[in-house]
Amino acid sequence: MVFSTPVFLFYFLALTLLLYYLVPRKLRNPVLLLSSLFFYYWGERIYVIIMLLSTAIDYTHGLLVERYKKRGSDRGAKLAVASSIIFNLALLLFFKYWDFLAASLQAMGLTFMPVLNIHLPIGISFYTFQTMSYTIDVYRGDARAQRSILNFGTFVTLFPQLIAGPIIKYKDLGDQIDSRTCSSEKFASGVQLFMVGMAKKVLIANNVGMLWESCKAVDPSQLTVAGAWLGTLAFSFQIYFDFSGYSDMASGLGRMLGFEFLPNFNYPYISRSITEFWRRWHISLSTWFREYLYIPLGGNRCSRSRWMFNLFVVWAATGIWHGASWNYLLWGLYFFALLMAEKFALLKLLGRAPALVRHLYTLFFVAVSWVIFAIEDFSHLGAYLKVMFGLGGVPLTDGAMGYYLTSYLPILAAAALASTPLGVSIYGRLGRRAQQTVCALLVLAGLFLCTAYLVDGTYNPFLYFRF
Amino acid sequence: MTKKYSIFLSALFCLFIGGIFLASLLLPKKEFSPLENRYLQKAPALSLESLDSGKFMEEGEKYVSDHIVGRDFWVAAKAWSERLSGKRENNGVYFAARDTLINRVEDPDRASLEKSMGYLDALVSNVSVPVYFGLIPSAAQIWSDRLPAGAPTADEASIIRDLYFATGANTVDLAGALSSHSGEDIYYRTDHHWTSLGAFYGANALLEAMGMPPLNLDDYTRTTVTDQFYGTIFSSSGVRWVQPDSIHTYVSSEGVKVTSYFTGEPEEGALYADSFLEKKDKYSYFLGGNQSLCVIETEHTDAPSVLVVRDSYSDSLAPWLTQRFSQIHLFDLRYNLTSIRDYVARHNIDSVVVLYSFPNFSRAENLFALGR
Repeated sequence: MVFSTPVFLFYFLALTLLLYYLVPRKLRNPVLLLSSLFFYYWGERIYVIIMLLSTAIDYTHGLLVERYKKRGSDRGAKLAVASSIIFNLALLLFFKYWDFLAASLQAMGLTFMPVLNIHLPIGISFYTFQTMSYTIDVYRGDARAQRSILNFGTFVTLFPQLIAGPIIKYKDLGDQIDSRTCSSEKFASGVQLFMVGMAKKVLIANNVGMLWESCKAVDPSQLTVAGAWLGTLAFSFQIYFDFSGYSDMASGLGRMLGFEFLPNFNYPYISRSITEFWRRWHISLSTWFREYLYIPLGGNRCSRSRWMFNLFVVWAATGIWHGASWNYLLWGLYFFALLMAEKFALLKLLGRAPALVRHLYTLFFVAVSWVIFAIEDFSHLGAYLKVMFGLGGVPLTDGAMGYYLTSYLPILAAAALASTPLGVSIYGRLGRRAQQTVCALLVLAGLFLCTAYLVDGTYNPFLYFRF
Repeated sequence: MTKKYSIFLSALFCLFIGGIFLASLLLPKKEFSPLENRYLQKAPALSLESLDSGKFMEEGEKYVSDHIVGRDFWVAAKAWSERLSGKRENNGVYFAARDTLINRVEDPDRASLEKSMGYLDALVSNVSVPVYFGLIPSAAQIWSDRLPAGAPTADEASIIRDLYFATGANTVDLAGALSSHSGEDIYYRTDHHWTSLGAFYGANALLEAMGMPPLNLDDYTRTTVTDQFYGTIFSSSGVRWVQPDSIHTYVSSEGVKVTSYFTGEPEEGALYADSFLEKKDKYSYFLGGNQSLCVIETEHTDAPSVLVVRDSYSDSLAPWLTQRFSQIHLFDLRYNLTSIRDYVARHNIDSVVVLYSFPNFSRAENLFALGR
């Protein structure tokens, strides 16, 4: 189930909230666990077992790690951690990467791995990372092992963050799982955040997404230079508003249930360097890789070549984490190259450049990165990039470009504004009364419009019944 | 945030989602949506099997969205919102000038078009009578001057030219005939079909291709049978700010005998089915809706007979054809896969017309049956 469907908003959420606040406090986790399992089961059916298995195994591993540590057996604790990591990675590798590896090997003539057409269980990239970090945190002493499997299950399956993150580390949430306070203030701020997220996803991301789809669907030889850039702009907005919208919805739902998640996006498009961009984009993923991969590899406290190697590994992993396809790896390495360049020279140069240049520089390279991200097929990707840089032998612009630009200009402008903290800062300067009025109106308008778009998304007239 | 205000905001949210939940759950359910022209999803049956196959979830989601309170209202609200945000299309429909809604036509798959043309040529070599092939361009082509500037849509005229060039059938220049009257009401503004007037120009294009004398519009009087027609594009667009269409007829049904095969068995039909004027689907006024075969017999018994491989555009064309043919056999390939060759021989058909609107032809199924 995804958040942006009528069945989630008007049935699942309505019923879950009702039940959650009706039952006595100590039954809230079981209610959450059951509703989260239902949430997952609704879309993934039998694959809910993998999640349950993962829960049971990491729960046991956490206890094992703690027991060995108490006994003073670092070796035993390390073994338990290793076993947990191997299990989680094996799950991820099998379900997400087996077919990709098999197909790639077969393309090279190696046929020992058959393509199995494995279904990718939704959210597996997120929950395997979460459970993996749990045992590591217990080992590191950053978190205490969870005694209650109900509580641990609640952590793993927590529906707000189950299928699209943010990646929540146990050490950040463990205490809240055990006990948290719910209040109307928290609930109301959850409502605000949820509505912001839903509006981002339903009103902006889906909308500009259609523009991107129409640019992507055109054969690059029929595209224009301006059209290719317009498509890139549209996708840049789509991915940001889709993903950060989803994170906002997750955090908002979390707050309605009494949880506080760490922020996942911080206006990435106002960054003035790629380095800064990655501090603002999908923060929960980059900190995860930093804490559980980059630093264990030695971070930057090692030789320069080793340090570069560490970064290379992290960015290759970041790339391929986004999907089992070569273009994601390329996308990750593209950022590795850019970050290297920044670390060794560019940042100094940029430091002397005017802010506008730094913004344009960042946006340019980020936008190009989204093309690599969005087009899996390399020949299509190459042709699209060629068109963007005027090498496609296509006209600069055409009538369709004019049509799309004028049609989407208002929504693109709104997206551009919403990518900056401007709205929040204006809102912050309003008086309390004005804030309350504006906020209530926006929430109502958001609910109204999102419902209209969600229902229309399921609108399916059967018109060719009689041709 | 003050306590009071946070309670207010929380209540606002909960009342909204809870209100829609309760209203959708408790209000009586509709079975059929005239606007969408389809039966709505029934409540899914809960069983281990339907859970395991995912059918329960799929139908459950459809059930929830099909029966959400105010469904038609929300769809209209979205169309309004798109319009206000500067869009000039919604759900694949352009907000065209002169209060007109026009479907965007997607570029057809050339390979499947070529396949279809192969079936057509098989028909040409299969039957001993002349075969005529006509593609009716859509309003997006003929009324392109009403589209928003630069609005993308398939170049139907040039594709039709290419297809005509390649076929062994005699071709009917419908694009030319309609283009030269593009200033007139030849399509409905809210429906994808041509009007009786459009069909008149189409009929003359066909007669011209067949070497028969054309009809003269002045010989007929126009009758308005309804001025409250909201067509298919009205439905799919979500647009609710356009005026309804009128349906006109010119040709009298007197002396015309219609035999319809709605269910496969012959029954008495009518050139004009008045009962549909009371329904949403008013275009079915012409011949009364889907049927695998429709045989129209006229008083011109010494005139030639014709078999039309049809789509629904032929339904409003049929009245005009009664003026020049003794028998008109409308053959729907979607429901009728009998051999055309045998049919032509058995019923002494004098010519065969394969007549489709361009969008329908580019996605028509069962064209393989042409060559049987």
